Amino acid sequence: MDLLRAIFIDPFAQMIGSPDLLAQTIWEGFVGGVLYALIALGFVLIFKASGVFNFAQGIMMVFAALTLVGLHEKGVPAWVALILTIAVMYALAVGIERLVLRPLVNQPDIILFMATFGITYFLIGLGELVFGGNPKSMITKELFLPGGSIDLHIPGGRVQLQKLDIAAAAVALIMVAGLALFFQKTRIGRALRAVADDHQAALSVGISLNQIWVIVWFTAGVVALATGIFWGARSDVSFALQVVALKALPVLILGGLTSVPGAIVGGLIIGIGEKLGEFYWGPLLGGGIESWLAYIIALAFLLFRPQGLFGEKIIERI
Amino acid sequence: MFYREAGQYKTTYAADMAIFPIRQDRYGLALILLIAFVAIPAFGNQFLINTMMIPFLILSLAAIGLNLLTGYTGLLSLGTGAFMGVGAYACYKLETFFPQVNILVWIVVSGFVSALVGVAFGLPSLRIKGFYLAVATLAAQFFLEWCFARVPWLVNYNDSGAIEVPSETLFGLSVTGPTATPVTRYLVVLTIVAAMAWIASNIVHGRIGRMWMAVRDMDIAAELIGIRLLRAKLLAFAVSSFYVGVAGAMMVFLWLGAAEAEAFNIDLSFQILFMIIIGGLGSIVGAFFGATIIHLLPIALRALPAMVGLSIDAARIDQLTFMITGILIIVFLIAEPHGLARLWQTAKQKLRVWPFPY
Amino acid sequence: MSGEILLSVDDVSLSFGGVRAIADVSFDIRKGEVRAIIGPNGAGKTSMLNVVNGFYHPQKGEITYRGRTRARMKPHEAAEQGIARTFQNVALFKGMTTLDNIMTGRSLRMKRNIFWQALRHGPALDEEIKHRRVCEEIIDFLQIEHIRKTPVGALPYGLQKRVELGRALAMEPELLLLDEPMAGMNLEEKEDMSRFIVEANRLRGATIALIEHDMGVVMDLSDRVVVLEYGRKIADGVPDMVKSDQKVIDAYLGAGR
Repeated sequence: MDLLRAIFIDPFAQMIGSPDLLAQTIWEGFVGGVLYALIALGFVLIFKASGVFNFAQGIMMVFAALTLVGLHEKGVPAWVALILTIAVMYALAVGIERLVLRPLVNQPDIILFMATFGITYFLIGLGELVFGGNPKSMITKELFLPGGSIDLHIPGGRVQLQKLDIAAAAVALIMVAGLALFFQKTRIGRALRAVADDHQAALSVGISLNQIWVIVWFTAGVVALATGIFWGARSDVSFALQVVALKALPVLILGGLTSVPGAIVGGLIIGIGEKLGEFYWGPLLGGGIESWLAYIIALAFLLFRPQGLFGEKIIERI
Repeated sequence: MFYREAGQYKTTYAADMAIFPIRQDRYGLALILLIAFVAIPAFGNQFLINTMMIPFLILSLAAIGLNLLTGYTGLLSLGTGAFMGVGAYACYKLETFFPQVNILVWIVVSGFVSALVGVAFGLPSLRIKGFYLAVATLAAQFFLEWCFARVPWLVNYNDSGAIEVPSETLFGLSVTGPTATPVTRYLVVLTIVAAMAWIASNIVHGRIGRMWMAVRDMDIAAELIGIRLLRAKLLAFAVSSFYVGVAGAMMVFLWLGAAEAEAFNIDLSFQILFMIIIGGLGSIVGAFFGATIIHLLPIALRALPAMVGLSIDAARIDQLTFMITGILIIVFLIAEPHGLARLWQTAKQKLRVWPFPY
Repeated sequence: MSGEILLSVDDVSLSFGGVRAIADVSFDIRKGEVRAIIGPNGAGKTSMLNVVNGFYHPQKGEITYRGRTRARMKPHEAAEQGIARTFQNVALFKGMTTLDNIMTGRSLRMKRNIFWQALRHGPALDEEIKHRRVCEEIIDFLQIEHIRKTPVGALPYGLQKRVELGRALAMEPELLLLDEPMAGMNLEEKEDMSRFIVEANRLRGATIALIEHDMGVVMDLSDRVVVLEYGRKIADGVPDMVKSDQKVIDAYLGAGR
């Protein structure tokens, strides 16, 4: 009885009792969710254009952040480091297209999926070899990112919003809008959508698959860099972040592999859901349930809607 | 030259269906077993037995387990490490509850515990496949890892949060714990691994193996010839988790001696997965090849520079291991998606017809 | 042709998200006959077979098989009841050998559990040998001895079709559904395949439902023909009757002509 009460009544009483805490928790979850959504966005871009489920997306985020900070540590000015990092991400996209995607074209999806495990391990090793394995802090000031916080007064108390988090949400918004415009309005965007729809048909009207792949992987790399900057600013930059990055996977399942709005909504659901779960129900189980809650939410969801929130229903043919 | 099968006629279906139909292969296997059971215990030093052979055998067994699920049934799992943990923790609980029962019994029983947990986490596999299922197995990985770290009952409330292996004897011989000699532990591990590899090979060559491969290659067609998909998949999860669980129990009881939750993290899952990618998906012998490469790579990286007088610090070696592993995975997927096992087959074929190309 | 009715389909309708694939179709298949289902592309022929062996679930209608009526079949149930099937785009287990593919067809008849299988001695081995013998007979019958141990993924299309028929025959089916068994074959291969179908029907006693585009083959092989167009049945009867049916001629040649 006590247990039922602790599960079904107490947390809600607590929420109503102190709305400021609730609002704060939701805000934290929201920001986390935005960052999950950004990682998921990188996945979706690559999946749509090349059919590759890029397990390495999370590592690309850490690798990009590490390159940025590492270059700065070696005495490169912040803005030069930023440009160099973007160049590195471009080189990475070209390298992956040449050395991994091109030789593996027409292989089953699962083979390509496993190849991205290889990319993951390679990038972890390379990143640490070049820049060292110790955690680093993000160069927020040098990149002119705002620090400090603003207080928001709401009935029942106040909520503290980090300016950095607001900036992260704003950048995410701009990025999603930019990508949407890019997809809808430009020639490359149209080609990209064509490729996403049907590789062979796109090839037959003269679209170069290889070029498109470099572009999407590069775009995903830039998205990864942006995510890495903000995530790195919230904690340290090190490969320990990869576990966080992996949580973009349940986000994808929730949103559907091919849907950009799905990635965003899924990210927010997972971000807010796991913060609420951890804060209100976590203590019951001894804490730390954040490490798996996202997966269980996604799994429960999968059983009822295997195609995700925004995915299309699959009709199997034979 | 010596690898010729001319003159070996198969006159019965039983002979044709043998797992090693060619006589030279049977001699080869006998030789390997002889070396493993006699030569290594007699002449091997501590380093060979403790650092190379025991971990190699245990990891091979886990790789066989994962291969039954991923290579034969086509269900990709990223939760192998956690299922090894289930075996280890189950064995620890059983052993400390009933210390008078033979430890080998508990190692096998913990395999069954792991199988049960595997079936529970395999249930979603009816509705989802491919990447989605891989993510679902990540749920098992993180949830179970959390249980190992946060449920004090699992470690008998001890302060270190780790499971430590008590000393146990078998026929009067010390098998586990600090008093056991490496050779004894090695022989126990070897016997279990050899027996289970033989069983796995029997299963995949029979009705159940064909059923799994049918599900892997074309699940719809399999269903339409009367294979119940859920049953086949759950059986694969159960048998695979059994193998993986036994490997996990042996990892703690016969190799490490103690372990924390951290030992069963996602890196272990990936290590085992890489073994079967490199060794060959859908091959029992491939699991051994893959375990050799993945387990020996860091050891070789440590040993080789020292031989030529270079010194590389430990962190560097880890980083290099990661990079090389990543490259190996990609190279194998590109050059030979069926792994070393297929290369081995091709080499044997070439040898059979040598010096002619066909 | 006065065999009793083995399977009857009554008023079956099937649609996918508003697109109607089959509309109120009824027909029956008698024991021992070769029943052809023909019609232009997209007429719903394959969907019909999918309904019969339970892969698609119709929104309306009933299926009566061996005297039992149900709203829909379940795939493994259909298989257990003796319905086997080949596919338009060969659906073999590509990573397995010809022999293993055909042996898989025996799955339902093999009973030894995993513990016997684990030993692969005694009863499990006896069972394996017994079924191997049956499969070897089928391999002989289809003249594919030479590719017994070749992975089917590496075989040419014509042989794959044969292996697929072998796998279906290994189930010793009462009702055999063949979806375009001769698509993409040359004349010689078609003749071979026709012979296999006739022998499967006469010697092995399988009732056959056949989808085929080659009218010569259909008219030669089948006892009765049902014609579908846009998911509706437009004709049903013996080949000669169907051949001269005005609606069928219109469907194939275009009504405007």
